Amino acid sequence: MGDVTRIIITRLGLGLLTLLVISVLIFGAVELLPGDIAQAVLGQGATEDNLRALRTELGLDRSAPVRYFDWLSGAIVGDFGLSLLTQSSVTDTIAPRFANTLFLAGYAAVIAVPVAIILGVIVALLRNTLFDRVANVATLTSISSPEFFLGYILILYFSVKTGMFPAIAKLSDDLTFFELLERTFLPALTMVLVVVAHMMRMTRAAIINLLASPYIEMARLKGTPAWKVIARHALPNAWAPIINVVALNLAYLITGVVLVEVVFVYPGIGQLLVDAVTKRDFPVVQACCLIFAATFILLNLAADVGAILTNPRLRHPK
Amino acid sequence: MADDKRVLLKIQGLRIEGYSDEKWIEIVHGVDLTLNRGEVLGLIGESGAGKSTIGLAAMGFARDGCRISAGSVEFDGMELTTTAESDRRVLRGSRIAYVAQSAAASFNPAHKLIDQHTEAPVHYRIRKRMESQEDAMELYGRLRLPNPREIGFRYPHQVSGGQLQRAMTAMAMSCRPDLIIFDEPTTALDVTTQIEVLAAIRDIVDQFDTAAIYITHDLAVVAQMADTIKVLLKGDEVEEADTVTMLDSPKEDYTKTLWAVRSFQRPQKSRPADGAVPIVTVDNVDAAYGQTRVLEDVSFDVHAGMTVAVVGESGSGKSTAARCITGLLPPTKGRILFSGEELPANFRARSKDQLRQAQMIYQMADTALNPKVRISDIIGRPAEFYSGLKGAALKTRVDELLDLIELEPSQFYSRFPPELSGGQKQRIGIARALAAEPSFIICDEVTSALDQLVAEGILRLLDRLQDELNLAYMFITHDLATVRSIADEVVVMKEGRVVEMGPKDVMFTPPHHPYTDLLLSSVPEMDPNWLNTVLEERGVDNIGEAART
Amino acid sequence: MNYFVIVYYALLIGGSCLAAYFKRREIFLALFSLTLASFVMGIVGGQDALWAVSIAAGLLALAGGTAYAFREFLVIISGTQTAKALRTAPLTASFGMFVIFTYAVLGIFAPVIAPFGEGEVISQSFAPADENMLLGADQLGRDLFSRIVYGARNTVGLALVATMIAFVIGVLLGMVAAVKGGWFDQLMGRIIDVVMSIPGLIFALLLLSIFGTNLIILVIIIGIIYAPRVFRLTRAVAGNVVVMDYIEAASLRGEGMWYLIRKEILPNSTAPLIAEFGLEFCFVFLLVAGLSFLGLGIQPPTADWGSMVRENATLISFGEITPLIPAAAIALLTVSVNFVVDWMLFRSSGLKE
Repeated sequence: MGDVTRIIITRLGLGLLTLLVISVLIFGAVELLPGDIAQAVLGQGATEDNLRALRTELGLDRSAPVRYFDWLSGAIVGDFGLSLLTQSSVTDTIAPRFANTLFLAGYAAVIAVPVAIILGVIVALLRNTLFDRVANVATLTSISSPEFFLGYILILYFSVKTGMFPAIAKLSDDLTFFELLERTFLPALTMVLVVVAHMMRMTRAAIINLLASPYIEMARLKGTPAWKVIARHALPNAWAPIINVVALNLAYLITGVVLVEVVFVYPGIGQLLVDAVTKRDFPVVQACCLIFAATFILLNLAADVGAILTNPRLRHPK
Repeated sequence: MADDKRVLLKIQGLRIEGYSDEKWIEIVHGVDLTLNRGEVLGLIGESGAGKSTIGLAAMGFARDGCRISAGSVEFDGMELTTTAESDRRVLRGSRIAYVAQSAAASFNPAHKLIDQHTEAPVHYRIRKRMESQEDAMELYGRLRLPNPREIGFRYPHQVSGGQLQRAMTAMAMSCRPDLIIFDEPTTALDVTTQIEVLAAIRDIVDQFDTAAIYITHDLAVVAQMADTIKVLLKGDEVEEADTVTMLDSPKEDYTKTLWAVRSFQRPQKSRPADGAVPIVTVDNVDAAYGQTRVLEDVSFDVHAGMTVAVVGESGSGKSTAARCITGLLPPTKGRILFSGEELPANFRARSKDQLRQAQMIYQMADTALNPKVRISDIIGRPAEFYSGLKGAALKTRVDELLDLIELEPSQFYSRFPPELSGGQKQRIGIARALAAEPSFIICDEVTSALDQLVAEGILRLLDRLQDELNLAYMFITHDLATVRSIADEVVVMKEGRVVEMGPKDVMFTPPHHPYTDLLLSSVPEMDPNWLNTVLEERGVDNIGEAART
Repeated sequence: MNYFVIVYYALLIGGSCLAAYFKRREIFLALFSLTLASFVMGIVGGQDALWAVSIAAGLLALAGGTAYAFREFLVIISGTQTAKALRTAPLTASFGMFVIFTYAVLGIFAPVIAPFGEGEVISQSFAPADENMLLGADQLGRDLFSRIVYGARNTVGLALVATMIAFVIGVLLGMVAAVKGGWFDQLMGRIIDVVMSIPGLIFALLLLSIFGTNLIILVIIIGIIYAPRVFRLTRAVAGNVVVMDYIEAASLRGEGMWYLIRKEILPNSTAPLIAEFGLEFCFVFLLVAGLSFLGLGIQPPTADWGSMVRENATLISFGEITPLIPAAAIALLTVSVNFVVDWMLFRSSGLKE
């Protein structure tokens, strides 16, 4: 077990390091701003006095490394400073919206993951049949469609034409859980459509790859029945690729959520980010980017750790 | 009809098609085969002969993208081509078992060996799990695996290749089948390991009186294992006879060429005068990949116009020695001298002329020639690069080189490597080396990927070129037949060290170093009694022991 | 029950029977399950549902027919080698090629094809379609059809340029890393790992917030964001070539790095790289469209499909499909490129065996 622990610790350390480098990138990018933040906020017409006052207020008179460590140490304990526009705490703005986004992504994932994996395995087992070809065309089409295209089609049919679900995902505190599920059904479904397609294709490829291994042929040549070949010989080796597929697609959900939130006017962190980018509210942009990047890295990390833990060669060292 | 009781497997007019390029192409063209109970049939042929496909068809099985298109496969009175798949499946593992070429890939990495062993007998309710485990241990013991009571509880990656192959044979035996298909079970193994596995397989098949189909491309191996031999060529049967007849008096021309190969042997050249400066000197070289030491204190000389054969099993460091000479792997200690002059360790630091002097010919002609470059450019580039030839002069030189390797220039000049046969590609590889006008060529297993007859052509060509151009060769090989036919000096390597070296005639006459002895005696010979003789000489119990010490 | 419904079922059942008679198992299963599904759909959705099915089938048949004809056309006009490959191309691939061809014509000849100028206001906002305006007017009263035609030039052009930038950077660095190996390879690998651990869209938003939505900056940013993907693939493809003995032979001969890349590696990596170019284009195109949709990409008054969706989005709530047209234009091109790439990948994987 020593080996596995060591590999996982190394991998975790590497993930942490990546996150650190990214925090430098995110912070440093704003430093590349032509002029500085004060200039950007106040615009061309600002007087020297106003600029100076704002610079002092934002602490821009200190050197970049000092401000970076200040920002980072704040970020670690969940304090991202104040918004340039509203002067309110960035953390307070982000926290409820991040929870909303996680809810939406989780909602989509709960539907998408089992559906995609089951369909992916079925398609892999039925490879080169008509069903497989139809699925191939369908998934390709789904992948190729921008999220807003799928979103608006769903709105058109399920909301405008039939009125089955609301087009705008307005949230309030007094909603029951089922109302919440209903309100967020269309945005979740939009993401499900895209993610299922991606995941199905990846699962199919992984399973086909697995079924081509000599040990699967050996199992068949030992007279093992088909279901047992899958359950006993393919499945234990399929975990690593499947975990990988799931994590990659959850990471994809996190990005895809931005566009979907805008389409459905959903109060999530993606929408917030887009607003902040348009209004050049840098503390909010930085915080959102860091959160997105951290989630992304975390999921990739989970995939790697999962793959390590399910690898028999590593679990049973020589 | 009484005769038929003995017949276990009868294949008639078997045709198999493979799917490629959107259509079905026949790859086995009507093969007949009869196998009696307790007999071993050797299927022999080159790659692409359809041996494995026929072997699997004997189980009523066709790989994905293959199908049995005609003919009958009758196993113990049951017609497999028309039976339902579920009925065929029940035969597999219980009455017909399969031993694959690569045991390392064919054992499921997620399960212990013994769990994979007991799967079939438990599934078929032949034995309970515990009985089956006991039986596995017993079989492991009979197959002379170390620690037979414990080895089964390991995972495949924790066991060595030769042991895995024996464990797979044990697994095939788990239901005491009537027939086992052995598909090149020792091809991936070193000679000293191969002999242990061969002996184990033969004993166990004898003990249980199991019938077997033994598939291989190695004549000498099949001669030890089989009662009858069937020769295949490109999906067609060439001939079949019992082993002794087949070895003594083959009928068909193709079979005769297979047998005749090893006749080429050129006389050993006289040793150079003492004090003659060798072309290449390897002087006390150590080398390592990262922390792993792969060469230790290796020294030998190669003289002008002579051939030095470097022999050893995989992992012996023979290819690493070549990489040190070419400068791809700078030694950690020691020197490489060229005509008495020390070369920079890294090839990037060497001058154009130093690079030109030493050339290389590779084992796999497929990967040695760029498939997207015309033959004229492949051969022309070194001539252009080193001698600055251009235009008509370059063309003349390329034609000259093609003539030298006995290929018609007009036919090959503007073709691409994938259009050529294996032997032709290897000749182009030789021409590319010659284009640099070197004095020393490293030949890395140049004949081992080729069919026997083609290989001999290459050896003859290399020999002729050596005489004409006074070339020095370093011949890296694991094949002692090649060494016998072309070497002047022999260097035997093991685990990164030179075990023994000397002129060929001395090396091939006893007494040997114990490892040289083991290596020499492990190479199968074309004599059906070879395995018995060797085992007797060594004493059955310590086969291969010397290899481990 | 009326004639339509009777003909509908008669065709389906007749087709199933024919398929069964000729032992086309898969076609039979497809047709017959459609028949069974139609019973349910007919009961639930009435005749309208059956109409929808027929229209969908008709569209599919039309697309299939176009694809078939276009493939035959390509086979006739191309050389023997290409023709042989094209003959085995699936209909999806030739459909994709047809669409790509159409888009290229639209983009190149946009000023000739479009009846009105890109920013020309000719009518009231959201005016419905009439004989002048094929698709009606947008929120400012500009001809939607003309803007879609110009959009083919702007949106696709921008995506193409950004993809090329990503490609040049990625392929160049990937090749050098594969050939040089050692510290350069390691360093590049690490940098790429870091860049790729920021989701593309997020990275783009971060940079856009800083540098503003200038067209040139947009192209460069997208190029840089997608270069790592190209780098990884190139590194992997070239990595498989670099281990070949002919590369060793060439470097032992003393050949320089550029010779190795140009003459030895590049000719052996073209197939996967072309396929990757197609895939990469899809990603970039979707990103550009997404950014424009968010109002952060191509800025008005330049016609662009992403922003057109956004500008006309309000129409959706009135049940109009207008905003879906530019979105569908995006989807159609991406699907088409994916179809072609899918076929190319299938071919190159099939050839390996």
